[in-house]
Order: sequence, then C-alpha cells, then structure tokens
Amino acid sequence: MADMKTAPAAAIAAAPSPTGTVGATPSGGKGRIRRHWRLYAAISPFYLLFLCFGLVPAGFSLFLAFQRWDGLGDMEYAGLSQFRYLLADTQFWDAVVNTLEIWAMGTLPMLFIALVSAVMLNSAVRFKGVYRFAYFVPSVTSVVAVAVIFGSIFSTSFGLMNAVLRTVGIGEVAWLNEPWGIKVAVAALMTWQWTGYNAIIFLAGLQTIPTELYEAARVDGAGPVRTFFSVTMPMMRPVILFTVVVSTITGLQSFSESQVLLGRNDGMSTFAGGPEHAGQTVVLYFFQQTFDNNDFGYGAAIAWAIFMIVVVFSLINWRLVNRREKG
Amino acid sequence: MSRTKGAMARGVSLHTALIAGVLLSIFPFYLAVVMATRTSSEIFSYPPKLWPGSHFRENVGHLFDNVDFFGSMLNSLIVAGTVTVLVLFFDSLAAFVFAKFDFPGRKLLFGLMMGIFMLPAQLSAIPQFVIMAKLGWIGSLTALIVPAAANAFGIFWMRQYMTGAIHDELMDASRLDGCSFLRQYWHVALPVVRPGLAFLGIFTFMSQWNDYAWPLIALTNPDHVTLQVALSQLNSVHSMTDYGMVMAGALLALIPLLIMFIFAARHFIADLAKGAIR
Amino acid sequence: MHPSRRGLLRAGLATTSAAVLGGAAAGCAVPAGSTGRNMTLWYWGGGLSDKLVEDAAKRFTQVDLKATQIGGYFRSKLLTTLTARAYAPDITGLKGEDIASLLSNADQFIDLNTLGADRLKSQYLDWKWAQGTADDGRQIGFPIDTGPCVHYYRPDVFRKAGLPTEPAEVSAAMSTWDDYFAAGERLRTRVKGAYLVTDLLAVLNMGIGQSAKRFVDKDRHFIGDQEHIVRAWNLALECKQRGLVSPFKSGTVDQTAALEDGRLPSQLGASWVSGDFKSQLTKSAGKWRVAAMPERPANDGGSFLGITKYCRRPEVAFEIITWLLGPRNQTRGFVEASLFPSTPASYEMAAMRKPDPFFGGQITNDIFARAAQRIQVAYNSPYDMALKQPIMDELTSVHVSGKDPRRAWRDAMSTCRRIADHLGVS
Repeated sequence: MADMKTAPAAAIAAAPSPTGTVGATPSGGKGRIRRHWRLYAAISPFYLLFLCFGLVPAGFSLFLAFQRWDGLGDMEYAGLSQFRYLLADTQFWDAVVNTLEIWAMGTLPMLFIALVSAVMLNSAVRFKGVYRFAYFVPSVTSVVAVAVIFGSIFSTSFGLMNAVLRTVGIGEVAWLNEPWGIKVAVAALMTWQWTGYNAIIFLAGLQTIPTELYEAARVDGAGPVRTFFSVTMPMMRPVILFTVVVSTITGLQSFSESQVLLGRNDGMSTFAGGPEHAGQTVVLYFFQQTFDNNDFGYGAAIAWAIFMIVVVFSLINWRLVNRREKG
Repeated sequence: MSRTKGAMARGVSLHTALIAGVLLSIFPFYLAVVMATRTSSEIFSYPPKLWPGSHFRENVGHLFDNVDFFGSMLNSLIVAGTVTVLVLFFDSLAAFVFAKFDFPGRKLLFGLMMGIFMLPAQLSAIPQFVIMAKLGWIGSLTALIVPAAANAFGIFWMRQYMTGAIHDELMDASRLDGCSFLRQYWHVALPVVRPGLAFLGIFTFMSQWNDYAWPLIALTNPDHVTLQVALSQLNSVHSMTDYGMVMAGALLALIPLLIMFIFAARHFIADLAKGAIR
Repeated sequence: MHPSRRGLLRAGLATTSAAVLGGAAAGCAVPAGSTGRNMTLWYWGGGLSDKLVEDAAKRFTQVDLKATQIGGYFRSKLLTTLTARAYAPDITGLKGEDIASLLSNADQFIDLNTLGADRLKSQYLDWKWAQGTADDGRQIGFPIDTGPCVHYYRPDVFRKAGLPTEPAEVSAAMSTWDDYFAAGERLRTRVKGAYLVTDLLAVLNMGIGQSAKRFVDKDRHFIGDQEHIVRAWNLALECKQRGLVSPFKSGTVDQTAALEDGRLPSQLGASWVSGDFKSQLTKSAGKWRVAAMPERPANDGGSFLGITKYCRRPEVAFEIITWLLGPRNQTRGFVEASLFPSTPASYEMAAMRKPDPFFGGQITNDIFARAAQRIQVAYNSPYDMALKQPIMDELTSVHVSGKDPRRAWRDAMSTCRRIADHLGVS
C-alpha cells in the first residue's frame, strides 16, 4: 500500500477527470498491476455487471442507429442518414434547448435551496427527525399523485398558483397552455420533488466536517455567513461536485416531470410535451420518435446524441467546480 | 444576556424558515392523502377538495380486491432489500479504492465508469431481455437483482463522500499498524462513512422500490410481480380509472419507504465529526 | 484478519460471475411462448371484461388459460418479447393505435382466416374488421370494441340559448358543421361565458376521423396535404374565427368545472367518454343527453385480439377469442367494462337498451349504435401518428400564440414532407 494518498482531503477531490487520460499514472508493467490485484478485484463487480448486462444493449443501440427499423420487422442499413437527419431536425434541437432551459430553471435553485436547507437542518437542535422526514417526503411521492396534484395546483381557474397571483393583484396565467408557463411549471415540479433529496445529500456531507473547525471559526469571531463560506463550502466541495454532476446527468435525461404534467389531455401524444412542444425534453423526443413514429433506428441515434450532450455538459460542470476548488 | 437573546432570535428565525420548508414539502403529499380518502368523482370535482373524505377504507378494499398487495410487496422487499445490501457493499468497496488508493489505470477506469453512468437508461430493453432469457432469469426476481447489484451512481457518491470523510492521517495510521486492505475498508473506512452509506441505502432502496420500466418487461408471471408493476395494472386505458383506489395504493406503497427512511435517518448523525482524527 | 469478510468478497464475486457464465452456458432452451398446459392471454386494464375473462378460464379446460393485465406501456412489452422470441403471449390484445404498425409485421401473427375467421366476418362491423386486415388479406386482429363518436350536450343550457333540446331535434338541427357552428355562435351570444368546443384539436381530430382517408395511402404516398385533411384543418380554423373555442385545456380541472357549470355544454367524443363523464361529473349528472355528430360519425379508439405465431394450440386460442368476442359476450363487455360492441347483433339486446339515468333516462345506445354502423372504412398506416403530429402542433400554435394560419399550414406541410421522406413515405 505504498501509493496511499498523502495530499490533503480537499485536493484529492480535484483528482480524476472523467475523460480518464491514459498514462497519467506511470505504469510500471505487469508486476505493478499484479501487486494491486486486491484493488482491481474490489472495483471489478461494477465493470463485470456492465460487461454482462450493459455492453450488449449499448452496442446494439449503436448498431441500430445505423439502421432503419420499425421494432419488429427486418432492418435496413441506413448508413449515416439517421445522424444527418438529426443534425437538420429542428424539433430535436428545440427539445435540446427545452431540456437545458428546464434544467437551468429547475436545478440551480434546487441545489441552492437544498444547500441552505441542509445547513439549517444541521444547525437545528430540536425536531431534527421531523424536519428531515418532511424534507424527504416529496422525493418518494408517487408519480401518479404528483401528476394529479400539480395539474390542479397549476390549473387556470382553480389552481393555487393563480389564487395566489390573484390575491397579490397579478392576473391569471394559463400555466399549462403557454410555452413559458409550462417550463416554469415543470421546473417547479422538479424543484419541489428533488430539493429535499439533495438537502439530505448535503446533510450527509456536512457530517464529515469536524466540529473542531466550527469551534475554531467561532473563536476567530466568524459569524454564520463567514463560517459558511470559509469552513462549510470548502469542506463540502467533493459533495457539491457530486450533486452538480449527478443533477446534470439526471437533469438532462429528465422526462417524467413533463410527461406527467402535460400528458393525457387533448389527443396529443403523451410524449409531445404540451403546446408548441414547450415541455418536450430530449428523452421525451426519443420516446416520441421510437414509439409513436415506430422509428427505432432514429430513436437510437437520438439516444447517442443525448449521451454526447450529457458528456459535454458534465465535463463543463466538472471543470467549473474543480476550477473553483483550486482558486 | 444579549448573546442569549440573539441566539434565541436566530433560533426562532431558523425554525420559521425550516417550518416554511416543511409546509411546502408536505402540502402536495397531504393532498395525496386527501385524494386517497375520496372517490374518483370527488377528486376531479371543483373546487379541489382540501379535507380528507370518508372513502379511504372503500378505496383500500377495492385495491386489495384488484391486486395481490402484500404478495407483491414481499417481492418488492426482497428485490429492494437484496439490491440495497449488495450495492452498499460493492459500491463502497469500489469507492474506497477510487478515493484512497492509486494504481495503474485508476483515472481511465474512473472515467469509464462515469461514461457508463451517462449512457441513457432507455437504450434498448430488447437485447437485455434476450440475455436474461438465455440465462433463464425471465420471470424471476434474479433478473431485477443481479444487474442492479453495483452502480456508478453509488460508487461516485461514496468516492466523493470518502474523499472528505476519511482523513489521510487515519489511513496513514492504519497503514503503519499493518492493516490489510480489507481490514482498512472494514475498520477504518466504513465506521466513518455511515451517513454516506445511510443516504446510499435509502436512495438505492427507494429507486428499486419505485422502479417499474424494466420489471414490467422482465416479470412475465402475473402471480410474481413487484408492487409497482402490480399497481401499474390499475390504470385503465381510456377512462374509468378509479383514482381514489390508485392513490390509496400509491400511498400505502410509500409506507415501507418511510419506515426505511426513519430507520436509516438515525445514521445521518454520525459520531465521526468528533472523533474522525483519533 | 477476518477471513469471513474476505470470503464474503470472494463469494460475492464468484456468485456473480458464476451465475452469469454458468447461466450463459446452460441457457439455450428459452421458451418462445407459453409452456406446458398454459395458454397466455395479455390485455390491459379495462381492455376486456375481467369477469368475462375469468369465465373463459373456467369454460375452456383443455388448456390452463393464464390471463394477465399488463400495466404501463403495453406495446413495448409485446414488441420486446416478439423480437426476442421469448415468452411471447399466445393471445394478445392489440390497441387500435398500434394495429397499423403490427399489420405490417403480419408474419408475427397467425392468419385468423386459416382458423375460420372469414366465416364470422358478417357478424362484425365492416370498417372494424377491415382495420384488423393486413394488405395481403391476412386477418390479424379480431375486433373487440369500437369508439363511435357522438355529440354530448346539455339541454338545460341549449334551452337558455334558444337551441333545440331533444336528441332527435339536436341531431337534425346540427347535422352539418355549419349548423353546428351557427348553434355555437348563438350559444356564445345568449349564454355568458359558454363555448361550443374545448380546443381546436378536438375539431381537427373529428374532422379527420370522418373521412375515409388518413395520411398515407396503400402505395405509401403521403396524402396528408389533400382535401380531406385541408377540410378538417379549415373546420378547426373556422371554429376559432367564429370565436367558439374555450380557453380551457382538455383533461384539466378547469374543463371539468366548465362541463359541470354549463360553460362547455357541448362535447364531441367517443362512446367511452361517457365513462369519464360518469366518474367525474357529479353535479351535472342527469343533465346530459346524446345526439348524433354533425355530418357523420368518426371512430376514436377500440382494440383487437390476435394470436401470435408462437401459440402452440391456435384452434383452442381461436375458440376462446370467438367466445369472448361473440355478440352475446360483447354485450357483457359493454355492461361490465363499457366496451362498445363491434357486433351489430349486440345492439338489439335488452342489456344494452336500458335507460341511462346519467343521460336523463335516454336510451343512448340508439345513438351510439347508429354512429357505429355509419363509420367509414379508412386505411391506417403505421406513420399516421408521426404525420399527424406536425399538423396538430401548428394548429396549436395558431390557437395559443396566434400564428398566421397560412404560414402554419405551410410549415406543417414542410415538416410532414421532411418526416415522410425520413420514414420512407413518398
């Protein structure tokens, strides 16, 4: 175990880039690898499972992206035509923009509120259990329930949102009938459902901060705000990096929020995302092409495009958080 | 004197803010409870009903007539419980390696794992079904448990968590004591990452409990399904869905999750904060 | 050292890899369909009468009929098992919206004519039977139910607007779209806040459903730019220009409220909409009536049963299907699961001719049955959904954000062309 890390904790978080550059670690031949067999064995289950159950589906869908297929009959080789069509498909790019807008509107406030809530939860002395329980509840509430509830909250004449707007003197908004109203509603649903969940993540992270550090800050005469920025934030960076990257990956692949809120109305497809496709995320577009249009080949091409987009945005966010760490 | 007053004021505003958050979180959930106690026509009537009705028992009765609630719940418990135990073990072990050791290919393997994490989950159920059929697992819970036994989400989470939580002094000390790798994992790493494990446990249990896309396809025997698959049969195509019953089912299905949460939440408060640097 | 823990790790790895490798080596005999004495039947919640299915299991003892309600997205499960050639059902429900794409893969199913379906053809509605027939004449789908569309209306509100109130009068007075819209104008001026239609898509869909053509013809040519679609588009636009469209959205509490308090006293919809009404409208129960749709009826919904090629005893399966879907049991399907029969003989049976209190004691079946028999045969293609979407999108843009209708139509057509081209439709 000679390679054990000696760098301080915060610096380790900056370590591997998700691209995984080969050769960053000097490889000392087979002996070195054999010496570490325990480590390889310890990380192997995930890779084995992927080899057995993930690689074939992934490879198959990559193969599909070069075919024309209705899901049941014979396949027909299509070359790069699916990808060429994708680049020119305005509805696909609209869906990408929708996804990014909803993601930005839903995720950023969510992470911020979650962090603040977690700090408050952490400093509360009484009723801790009750608070934690209450904050956790939204993330387990069933999708069916959420659909009906938010449908009624954002209803034009009977919804709570408009009731509030009316009392403060702003008129009614047809939330689920207007492009931007739809995006706000979807983002609000997302924020409601996942803020508590992220707060729980942050809360777990806050537990890693030794109380000595807080005491030291208090002795230095730091108030709660300064303590937050000089103690909490730096110590929380690995966990913040986690939440940012994970909410990028999951946020860019979101679809159920739009689907439950905007599905089942007028004869439109449940994958259409409401008027002007304002709530149609890329994954919903994938479903629409695959299942409504029986276009499995194009669906596969979209899936791989989603993958590329997720990789790019995750890398950007990873770099952003890491740069802040160094600075 | 003034200090205690200030502290009290701060305490009051803290609790006010927290209670506001609680109300926001709980309110939609409360509406779900209201719906579970009402008939379909009451749910869709206007103005929306804000008080619980009197049809809860009736809705639950219909639910039990239509699905094998406890049988399917047992299957869900088996799947979610087994997967949670496996994930906690495999993920934390792999994360420990990624967080605290260096070895050839570490960055590459970690990057590969993150790449796999970013693959859209909807890729293709067909080849996965073929693999499971060849293995003879279709229709059995094994088809749900084995592929879920380790995941990138959990490894990434535990790695990030361990990076902050396991201090290097601790690792150095244990190394000097001549601890083997597994001993370090078991006696040094695990005790200090309990809050992280508690979160991973809750999350894994919850996502397995609520998962339904793959179970719907993989479980072919109607007498042997998970709870969410059973509940999904309650929605009918066009009309006539009994929403009161569906809501009652959704609500009852949450109870094990909430119990699980209460059980795991105790671990969020770790004693490590005091004793991490022994 | 704790050997038990190291052992645990090893055991974990070993089990995983052994199970996978061993399983892969051993697993070759994967059943394509059911096994043993079993015969599997897949349908979805509300797709068949559950009681009727139970009775079938008791009646047909030469096999063990295992009926399963599949939740979620039915078609993806069916496609997965058929493509994987593993665990496919013997008998399966085929949804109306999926039937066209399944017909182009007719070889996955048994031609029901080989089992004698052609002898029963005369008992079923022509257009419905034709929907389940592949291009080469093979019969894939056996008709379950239909969704004849009618005009639901509120006589109490119509009276206030000075419009006719009796079903026969309403059917006669609003027998053309123009008369219907004129009635809507009258309604709007005489009853404050009342609208004729909920949204434009309802009119578009009804208009398209009335014609004998859809979006693609049998030679895979795009025909969505032709007269029948233009007519439906113009009907929807006219409806907007005459100010007859409500600000409400279908399927929301707002719509429910408007239906209850008389602001939406007229709805064009399929037979199964009455089920929604009965479960959601309590205050206006008894105040609704049913009349015929303007011009001619359309169909919305309705499904089929098919036998997959993996079925080992097709004769028995066919016997079960014909028993489930014969005229007598289709009546039960109507009573027990609100499935409107595809067998005209059922329409005369007493069980279907009961006065309906929700509709003020009207014998609604007279209207539904007449509608069901007047629906035209239309050719449905697997690409209909894809090619209808741009038209619906552009119409919504006209309605929601006031897009210029001409430009909207041009944009819809260019998107349709692009999609058609991509899907191999010329």
